[in-house]
Formats: sequence, C-alpha cells, structure tokens
Amino acid sequence: MIFFEQLRGELRKLFARPRTYMGYGAFLMLEGLILFFYKLDKGKREARALLEQNGLDFGTFYSSLSISFMMILLSMFTLGSIFFALVGGDIVAKENEDGNLRLVFARPITRLRLLLVKYSAVMIYTLSFVLFVSITGYLMAAAAVGFNGGLFVLEPKMKIFSAFPEWAEGATRLGMGAVGIGISMITLSSIAFMFSCFRIKPSSAAIITLTILFVDMILQNFPFLKPYEEYFVTYRMSAWLFMLEKHIDWAKIMESYVLLGGLNATLFIIGWLAFQTRDFKT
Amino acid sequence: MLEVSGLWKQFAGKPALEDVSFTVRKGEIYGLLGHNGAGKSTTLGIILGMVEPQRGGVKIGGFDVGRERAQALRKVGAIFESPAFYEYLSGWDNLRILTSYSGGFNKSDAREVVERVGLTKRIDSKVRTYSHGMRQRLALAQALLPEPEVLLLDEPTDGLDPEGIHWFREFILGLRRDRGMTVLFNSHLLGEVEIMCDRVAILREGKRIHEGSVRDLSSEEPVFQVDLDPWEPATTVIKAHGGEVLERGKISLPPTADPAALIAGLVGAGISVRAFTPARKSLEDFYMEIRRNGQVDPNAIDR
Repeated sequence: MIFFEQLRGELRKLFARPRTYMGYGAFLMLEGLILFFYKLDKGKREARALLEQNGLDFGTFYSSLSISFMMILLSMFTLGSIFFALVGGDIVAKENEDGNLRLVFARPITRLRLLLVKYSAVMIYTLSFVLFVSITGYLMAAAAVGFNGGLFVLEPKMKIFSAFPEWAEGATRLGMGAVGIGISMITLSSIAFMFSCFRIKPSSAAIITLTILFVDMILQNFPFLKPYEEYFVTYRMSAWLFMLEKHIDWAKIMESYVLLGGLNATLFIIGWLAFQTRDFKT
Repeated sequence: MLEVSGLWKQFAGKPALEDVSFTVRKGEIYGLLGHNGAGKSTTLGIILGMVEPQRGGVKIGGFDVGRERAQALRKVGAIFESPAFYEYLSGWDNLRILTSYSGGFNKSDAREVVERVGLTKRIDSKVRTYSHGMRQRLALAQALLPEPEVLLLDEPTDGLDPEGIHWFREFILGLRRDRGMTVLFNSHLLGEVEIMCDRVAILREGKRIHEGSVRDLSSEEPVFQVDLDPWEPATTVIKAHGGEVLERGKISLPPTADPAALIAGLVGAGISVRAFTPARKSLEDFYMEIRRNGQVDPNAIDR
C-alpha cells in the first residue's frame, strides 16, 4: 500500500514536469504531419500503387489501421526513443543534480526501494506513452480517412508482410503490436535508467543511451553482421512485429521478450549497485 | 539519543573526517560548529546514511544507521541549508511526496504542521513562487512530518533575514521546551550556536578540536575592536595591561582587566583612541584561543 502511495508521488512528479509532456506534443504534431502526407494526392497515389502491386484492394487497406501502423513503425524507434531516454535519464540523475535527493535520503526509505519506485514510474510512463501515441494516431487517422478498413503490414527488414481485411482482426493485431512495442521500449528506458543511477548528468545519461541504441541499429543493418542480427538488442526489440504476422509464432516472440526481460533486470541491478555504493554529500 | 563514534571518512584520498565522536543526549540542543569544509555536512551525511564512513558508526535511539537505517531514521527529521524541493509542485504536494517515504501521509497532521509553521495561505502555491524564508518554513514542516524525536539542522538560518532567524530560533527552542525534541545544529555562526545550544563540538579540517558547554565559549577572554593611532606603541601599552593583540584592530583582555584603565593608559601614552568596542568572537578567535590555552582535544589540529 505504501509502495503505491510512493509510486503515486513519483508519477505526480513525473507528469507535473513540462518536459514530460514535450514528447506527447511532439508526437501529436508528427501524427498530424504523417496524416497530411497520406491525404495528399501524391501520398494516395503511392499508397494505391504499393497496395495494388501486392494484389490488395486500395479501398480496404488505405485505412486508419494501416496508417496508424505506419505512424508507430516510423516514429517509435526514432522520435520516441529520444523521449524515453530523456525521461529515463532524468529520473534519478536530475533529482541528484537538483539536490532533491538530500531531502529524500533524510527519510527511512532504502535505496533499493526508492529505485524500485522510480523504475516502476519509468515503466508506466513508457507503456502509457506508446499507448497514447497508438490511440491518438488511430483516432486522428480515423477522423481523416474513416474508422473502417483492414490492416496492411509491410516491414521488409523483419520480413513481415500480412494483410487483415477485417477491421476487428486488424485492430486486435495492431493493439497487440502496440502493447508489444511498449514492452520493447522499456528496455530503452532501462538503459537510460541504469546510467541515471551513476554519478552522471541527466543529459549525459540520455545521450549515452541514444548512442547505444543507434549504434546497435546501425550495426544490425550492416550486411556483414546480418547473420548475427539476433544478438542485437534492437532486433529483439522489434519482436512486436511478429505479432502482426498472419500466423503468430509465440515461441519466437517469447524468446525475445524473455531475453529483453533478463536484460532489463540486469540493467536495473547494475544501476542499483552503482546507486547503493555512492556517497551523497549534503 | 544520538551517538557518533570514531568517524573516519576520506574523499578522493583527502581526509574529510578523522576520528570524530560526540553524543547528543535526549532533549539536548547540540551544536556542531565549524567553517565550511570543516566536516559538519559530511558528519550529517553519515548520520543520515547518505555517506558511508570508512570507520566508525552512528546510533540513533539505539539503532545503528549502517545496519538498521530505516529504524534509526524513523523518528528523525532533517533540514538543510537551501533545501531543494520539487519547484514545479505545490508545497502541499512536496509534503505529501516526502512524507510518503517515511511510511504514510496523514492530512490532518500535515494541516496542523503547516499551520504551525505559518504556511497555510501559500501551501497550495508552487514552490518556485516561495521566498527563501517560506522554503525554510516548508523545510521545517516536512522535517516535522511524521512527528520526529530528533531534528538535524544543517545551517538552517543561512540566508534568512533577521526576523526569519529570530522566528526560526524561537520555533526550535519551543520544540525542545514543549516536546523535549533532541536537536543537532550544524552552523558556522558562533553567535547562533551560543544562543541555541546547550553543548557544542567544534570541528576543524575534519577533526574535533573542542567539546564542551556553551558557557565555555563565552567565558573566554573578551575581545574588542579598536581603532588606535599610532598602532605600534599602542601594542606595548595593551600588553602591559595583560591584553593580547589578535590582529591589527582586534585585541583580547583577561576577564579581570579593566578596559577603562587600558583606554586611560593609551590616552596617557599619547595614543589617539578613535574606537574601542566589545566584539563578538569569531570562530577563528575561538580556534586561536583554544590553541593558545592548550584546550585542544586528543584529535588536535596540529597532530
């Protein structure tokens, strides 16, 4: 019960800061821009060409679900990662930098518990952010092109190609994918969180996290390393896409999420050990 | 109530504390006096478990801070110089969040404390709109939630105006009087410590160089600020009256000496006496005196 009161306080702090909302605002703008391009004649022509080349009906698959999928796919690993790294990097390091931790440490709370509260808040932020982007993306797309229609998924890098003509099945798959990418992005937040526990500036924690993410993405796409793609974190983080295959291979998905879960736990423990052994001068 | 035993701490190979020990009794206001960098804040950090000592330990109410930190701090409140609150939240939200780390927030207790520190009208305003004095009142409110038995104050009156200092001092003295609160008071201001504290320890360069009652501080030789011309022959007259030149313009006299007789002697020697006023001793004067008088602890400064 007390843990939830502490978590509530942590979320209150997190969501009271203007910086936290920057991400929400930025994504709403991006979603608007993507929709604008989809609504242009040129955008429609290209969508029609792509669908018809693949033997699919434009009227069915030029839809709010397909556009929402593209929004998530294009933005989450790029723009989204910036905000997850910023919030994860801030969560401990910023409070240390601002001196807030002195007042917290005057209280009978253990460092482990304090970190558990903060890590829980970061996870909630990450999941809620992805769900916010998914829901607003869908609602904006629905307002622009209508609620109905199926879901068309094309992601060549992960070799995903599928089409769900029924709205209900498409919406279910997209919803599962959104939850999946939310869980995947917790790994990014965990990397930032771990660095935040070290004696480091919040901005440095965010920059190091983004550097790791982008280096991982670049190397994963390097042709020479293609046979080893399963060893890259960003490949594992893309496991949510497998939920959008016609026939879901749960074993393949679970393998990635178990590995990501283990990695998250390891990152938390490293962060905790660094935090536990630090002196905090008043 | 609070036992600090044999603390040793180094930062990056430089000693910050060397064998610092003292005990604060229940209901006592104990001053920890020293210049910036003397080791006061490091001592407080160790008491709160924020800093790990290389040797030694701290017990609060019988609980060892190193091994039983949560129990030891359950009845402790702390105030720091320039307390850093969550600026973008209201005072009330800050109290709620900080108190949740101690086990739970009770609205009626919080309202009562807010009223006692005089923040009722502004408690729902964002902390970034608070003056320094209001922040210090909020710091006091958070330290009093939930009800502590020990208060740790780290330079709490720094930056306050005279009215604020007076209010704060009276509030703390009231807590001791009405609730038997035990207080550890860190300060570099000798005057404040003299007014507030029962006993005092003086730290210098991480070593405890003195411990005693506050009376010990004020029973030393009185000090005077003087403006004399010419200075060199004046020093001979001062020494002839048993006085000592601490620095140019500052002298001390033995408690038995008569300042009027010294002034007459100076005038008689043809020295112009432009000013002769009692001065409060600075911490530095006190260091010099205890060195001169050999009243130095085993952890002495010249060791």
